[in-house]
Amino acid sequence: MNRRITFIQAVREAFQEEMRRDERVFVMGQDVQAGIFATTSKLVDEFGPARVINTPICESASVGAAVGAAMTGLRPVVQIMFGDFNYLAMEMTANQAGQWHYISDGALKVPMVIETPSGARGGAGYGHSQSLEAAFILPPGLKVAVPATPYDAKGLLKSAIRDDNPVLFFEHRRLLPQRGEVPEEEYLIPLGQADIKRVGSDVTLVAVSVTVHKALAAAEKLSQRGIEVEVIDPRTLVPLDKDTIFQSLQKTYHLVVVEEGRKRGGFGAELAAIAVEEWFDYLDAPVQRLGTISAALPYSPVLEAACIPSEEDIVQAVLRSLGQEE
Amino acid sequence: MQLEDDKRKELYRKMVTVRLLEKRVEQLVTAARIPCSGHFGLGQEAVGVGICGPLRYSDYIFGTHRGFAEYIGKGLTPREILSEYYGKATSLSRGRLGQHLLKPEIGIMPLPSSLGSEFGMAVGTALSTKLRGSDQVTVNLFGEGTAGQADFGPSLEMASLWQLPLVFVCNNNQYVELAHYRNVVATEDIAPRAGAYGIPYEIVDGNDIALVYGATAEAVSRARQGEGPMFLEFKTYRRCTHYTGDPGGYQPQEEIEIWVQKDPIDRCRATMMAEGMWTEADEQAMLASIADEIEAAVKFAEESPYPDPATIYEHIYA
Repeated sequence: MNRRITFIQAVREAFQEEMRRDERVFVMGQDVQAGIFATTSKLVDEFGPARVINTPICESASVGAAVGAAMTGLRPVVQIMFGDFNYLAMEMTANQAGQWHYISDGALKVPMVIETPSGARGGAGYGHSQSLEAAFILPPGLKVAVPATPYDAKGLLKSAIRDDNPVLFFEHRRLLPQRGEVPEEEYLIPLGQADIKRVGSDVTLVAVSVTVHKALAAAEKLSQRGIEVEVIDPRTLVPLDKDTIFQSLQKTYHLVVVEEGRKRGGFGAELAAIAVEEWFDYLDAPVQRLGTISAALPYSPVLEAACIPSEEDIVQAVLRSLGQEE
Repeated sequence: MQLEDDKRKELYRKMVTVRLLEKRVEQLVTAARIPCSGHFGLGQEAVGVGICGPLRYSDYIFGTHRGFAEYIGKGLTPREILSEYYGKATSLSRGRLGQHLLKPEIGIMPLPSSLGSEFGMAVGTALSTKLRGSDQVTVNLFGEGTAGQADFGPSLEMASLWQLPLVFVCNNNQYVELAHYRNVVATEDIAPRAGAYGIPYEIVDGNDIALVYGATAEAVSRARQGEGPMFLEFKTYRRCTHYTGDPGGYQPQEEIEIWVQKDPIDRCRATMMAEGMWTEADEQAMLASIADEIEAAVKFAEESPYPDPATIYEHIYA
């Protein structure tokens, strides 16, 4: 039986199911008991304050505490209220959480999740709006989940909690209230499995997080002009399901990648590099990349919108890829 | 808490092992047999060894990068240390850790390269034991310079807020790298900062093994009984330079001389001899035995193979 529930409800169900299933799972972060974006609301009623812990305002010590707890037998989920604040905890995430399993030659494991609402929602300002998921491609040992639908969010979060590695789980704030079909029965989505959100034969369009929806809207417009776009949501940036993208490229010979993270040094840069390095013979045109400009995100919603890729930008990028730019 | 005779002898032997091992490793670093630089703790052996005295193997300790006192104290052997320092395949990490000594099964937890990154992790292990209903205690040892790190205050706050079984130990050796600590530390004492977070604290002579042991035993006992965190500051002195290759010269000779007179190993030996529990013959036998252990460890590390480069792809993910 499928129901339509919000992204928030899907995430909360993942928490509830995993916390019931495994008493080692607990949640910590600023205001997780009340639930600032509601994903953790009411968990404290069922699981108590020992497993739903409000932390002082210190992202680095909170992530550090999660690392220590994870190394000694628990499975913490630490919430970082805004994606931007991950930089406050970057030392603990990049230098510690991601590296001790390897450097200890497997003696330590760090099974933890950083749940982090993020992205531009129109008027939140420079430090509450960035999509920083690509910053976690570089450090070793981390996994990065970027769900775009309630269904993907629930299935990926459950897998992330069960994973024996540190996983960053980005929730775009424009997606949080959106509804989508989610089955009643339990399911998991493996980390590292892309999803083809729309089948097409002319261009492979890889879209990350909130841009999946813009990509789908752009694809509908293009379809009216006879251009069939295949929209692929990688769902996790690390590990990256290269096979699904490559299979699509073998059909379309055209690659466009869109993200709300910054274009320079972003996920698109990585994917374009993979494409020219490994799939050169399957490229009939230069790879088109779309991302946010390398500037601080301005406050005014009009300016903010001008910095990030729009549906029309995606339409134009697909046309450029096909040599049909207007 | 009283330091019993047998325990005193055990801690004495460990202190001497630390001192002789550091001297030997310094030679090996200088001779380029060991690739990393060395950071030693001449004169401050009683702190690291003493705080491990009351700990069980199952208790967690986060140690420092300076010397081997807490690692030998918690049960790591010269052979394990040297094989890591040499980067050999026979080390516990098969050549990955180097100076970042680690052995979780006896409670030796990560030594991060970035000083103070253990503050949050120590909160986490203490939170973990509390949530698991275990009576394990976590000890977080750090220097007076590291107390300047960003996570110092929040870790005190969390430990106090959640009444965690966590003992903070500041090893105040009076030098932060190449400068006297008062160049970069605003206060004479670090421990009173704990009071601001509602954590009881004590300042203790760090060159008296019995006092270090006793103060730690009480703090650990409180923590084990669920009475929350405590903060100990041990006053000691680093009689060596910051690292091998540091020419030094910034520590006044008179200052060093004062602390030579307070040497923790000499003091412990004098006490044991005055109490009739240690003789010159015991001393010579012990020195010979430690020298044998260290030389056997050097030989083992020298003769061990380097790791196979093909192993670099192992354990990237769990």
